[in-house]
Amino acid sequence: MTNVSGVSARGLHHDVYVGLVLLIFCAVTFYITTTFDSVPAMLSQNIPATFFPRLILFVIAGLSVILIVSGLRRTPEKLGGIPGSVFLTAGVITLAIFLVKPLGTLLTVSLLSMTLTWLWGERSKTRIISLAIGLPAAIYLIFAIGLQVRFPAGVVLALFGAGG
Amino acid sequence: MPGLEVALQVITDPYILGLIFIGTIGGVLVGALPGLSSSMATALLLPFSLYLDPIPAIALLASLYCAGTFGGSITAILINAPGAPPAAATAFDGYPMAQRGEAGRALGLAAVSSVIGGTFSVLVLLIAAPMLARVAYSFGPAEYFALAVFGLSMLSSISGKGAVKNLIGGCFGLLIATVGVDLTTGVERFTFGMPELYEGIHFIPVLIGLFAITELLSQAAKLRQEVVAIGVSALKLPSWADFNKVKYTIMRSCGIGTFIGILPAEGSTMAAMIGYNESKRWSKNPEQFGEGAVEGIAGPEAANNAATGGSLVPTLALGIPGSATAAVILGGLQVQGLRPGPYLFEQQPALLYGIFFSMLLANFLFLGFGLVGAKVFSRITQVPRALLWPTVFALCFVGAYGLEQSMKDVWVMLAAGLVGFILKRYGFAPAPIIMGLVLGKLTENSLAQAMIIFDQQWTGFLGRPIAMSFFALALLSVFAAPIKRLVMQRVRLT
Repeated sequence: MTNVSGVSARGLHHDVYVGLVLLIFCAVTFYITTTFDSVPAMLSQNIPATFFPRLILFVIAGLSVILIVSGLRRTPEKLGGIPGSVFLTAGVITLAIFLVKPLGTLLTVSLLSMTLTWLWGERSKTRIISLAIGLPAAIYLIFAIGLQVRFPAGVVLALFGAGG
Repeated sequence: MPGLEVALQVITDPYILGLIFIGTIGGVLVGALPGLSSSMATALLLPFSLYLDPIPAIALLASLYCAGTFGGSITAILINAPGAPPAAATAFDGYPMAQRGEAGRALGLAAVSSVIGGTFSVLVLLIAAPMLARVAYSFGPAEYFALAVFGLSMLSSISGKGAVKNLIGGCFGLLIATVGVDLTTGVERFTFGMPELYEGIHFIPVLIGLFAITELLSQAAKLRQEVVAIGVSALKLPSWADFNKVKYTIMRSCGIGTFIGILPAEGSTMAAMIGYNESKRWSKNPEQFGEGAVEGIAGPEAANNAATGGSLVPTLALGIPGSATAAVILGGLQVQGLRPGPYLFEQQPALLYGIFFSMLLANFLFLGFGLVGAKVFSRITQVPRALLWPTVFALCFVGAYGLEQSMKDVWVMLAAGLVGFILKRYGFAPAPIIMGLVLGKLTENSLAQAMIIFDQQWTGFLGRPIAMSFFALALLSVFAAPIKRLVMQRVRLT
C-alpha cells in the first residue's frame, strides 16, 4: 500500500467517498433489519432483535456524516495505486482456499508455498522446495498428529484411503 | 493468599515453565520480525491455545505479549523499522545509536528499560486488578453498558487524526457481533439463510484475518523495499553512567505506561509515544533527541512494556480490554469459558496469579534471551519475506480451520483480511474493529438487561451515578480533542 499522503488530487478528499459508501452500507443494512422475523413484544421483552443493530447503524451513519463534512474541508489526497503483487497474492490465497477441499490441505499448502515464494521473488530452488516440503510436513506432524486436527484429505489422499 | 500458593505450584510446573519459555522466545522472534506484531502472534496462537488448559493457555499468551513488545525494539534499533508499532518511538534514537556502532548498547538499554517497565506494571496489575474487580461488584447491567461505551469511546483518542474512523471501526465490530441468532428472541440476524452463521461469526477467524491476512497483503505491496540491517555481536547491559542518566526517565515512563495501559483501548503504542515525548520534555539535553540519546530509548521502551501489565488491569477486572492484544487475551479467556470480572478473582485465583507470574517471568526471560541471543535475533530480521509470509498464511489457515474444523471459518478469515486491507488503505485500523467485536455481546446484553430493568426508559440511566460517570468520561474522551482544537483556533484568531 503506497499511501502518498499530502499529494493533492482533483475532486474531493477520499474520506467523502468513504463516508458516502458507509451511508449506503447503513441504508442497505437497515433495510436488511426490516426483513428480520418479528416476535411478540412480550416474548422479546420489548427489546426487539432489530433494536441493537439499528442503534449501531444510526451511530455509524452519524459518524459517516461527520467524516463527510470533515472530508469536505480537507485537501484532496492522492492514494497510490495498489501494486499488482497484492492482487496476485490475494488471488493465490483465495484460489488455495478453494483448492483445499479437492486437493487436500497438505498438497494445497505445498503448492501455495511454492507459488507464493516464487511470486514474492524467491528464486532459490532449494529454498522453495524445502519450504514446499517442510511446511506441510510440519503442519501434519504438529496439528494432524499432535493436536488431532482433521484436515480435509482431498481427492489425492482419498485415492489412497487416507485422511488428513 | 490461597491463590498465591496454588499459583506458585503452577508456575514451578516444568510444563508451564516450558510454555512460558516458548512464549517468550516466540514473542521476541515475532516482535523482531518486521510486519509481525504481538497482537498478530497472539491472534494466531489463540486457536491452538484452546487445546491447553486455561492457566497454561493464558500464561503462553501473556508471555508472548510481554516479550513481543520488547522484540519490536530489536528491528527498530537495527533496521530502523519497528517490528511492531509500540517500538516506533524507539527507532528515533535507537537507530542513530546503532549507526554509530553502538547497537549492543542501544539493545541493552531497551532490554533493561523494558524489564523494569514490565515488572513495575505487573506489580501494579497484581495490586490494582483485584481492587478494581472489587469495585465491579457494585456494577449492574447499566454500569457494564456504560463501561463498554466508555471503552469504545476511548478508541477516538488512539490517534487524533483517525478518531472518527476508529469509532466507526468499533461500531463495525459491534455490528459483526450481532450476526447470528439473537438469544433473547430467537430471531436470525444477518444470517442470509446460511445455517453456518446461526451461531454468529466467531471472533478468532476475524482476528486472524484482520491482523495477519491484512498484513500479508500489506507486505505484498512492499516487495520492492529493501532493508539494511546493522549487525550486532552482543547485547550490552547499560553502564552505571547510562543507567544513572536514565533512571528518572524509566521511573516516569513506568508510571505513564501503566496509566495509559489501564485506560480502556489505549495501548503500548500511545504509551511509548507519550513516554518518548515526556523523556524529551524533561531531558537536560533535548537537542540530543533524534541523534541517539539514551533517554530516547529508555523512555519509550519502559513505557510500552509498562503498558502490557496496565492493559490487563481493566481486561481482567472488568472485561474491557486495555489494548488490541489484551482484547485477544480477553477472547482467549472467553473461549476458555471464563468471564473476567470480580467472580474470576474469586473463583480462579490460581489462574490470575498464574498470569501475573508468567508475565513477571517472561520479563526476566527476555532479558536473558537478549543477552545470550542478540546476535541470533539480529539475523532473524534478515529472514526473507518470501519464505516468512507463506508460512504465516499456512498458520492462519490452520488456526482458523482448527477452531471448529470448518472451512466456514477459513472463508471468514479471508473475507476479514480482504476487507481489512481495503479499510486499512482508507485509514481504518484493525484494532478498533476487534475491540468492538470482543465487546459486542457484553454491550448488547447489558443494554438489553438495563432497558428491561428500566422498563424501556432511557431516563433510568440518570439514576445510576456510576453509569453516568462512565457516560461523562465517554463524552469527554470523544469531545475533548475537538473542543481543544476549536479553543486553540479561537485563541490564534484573537
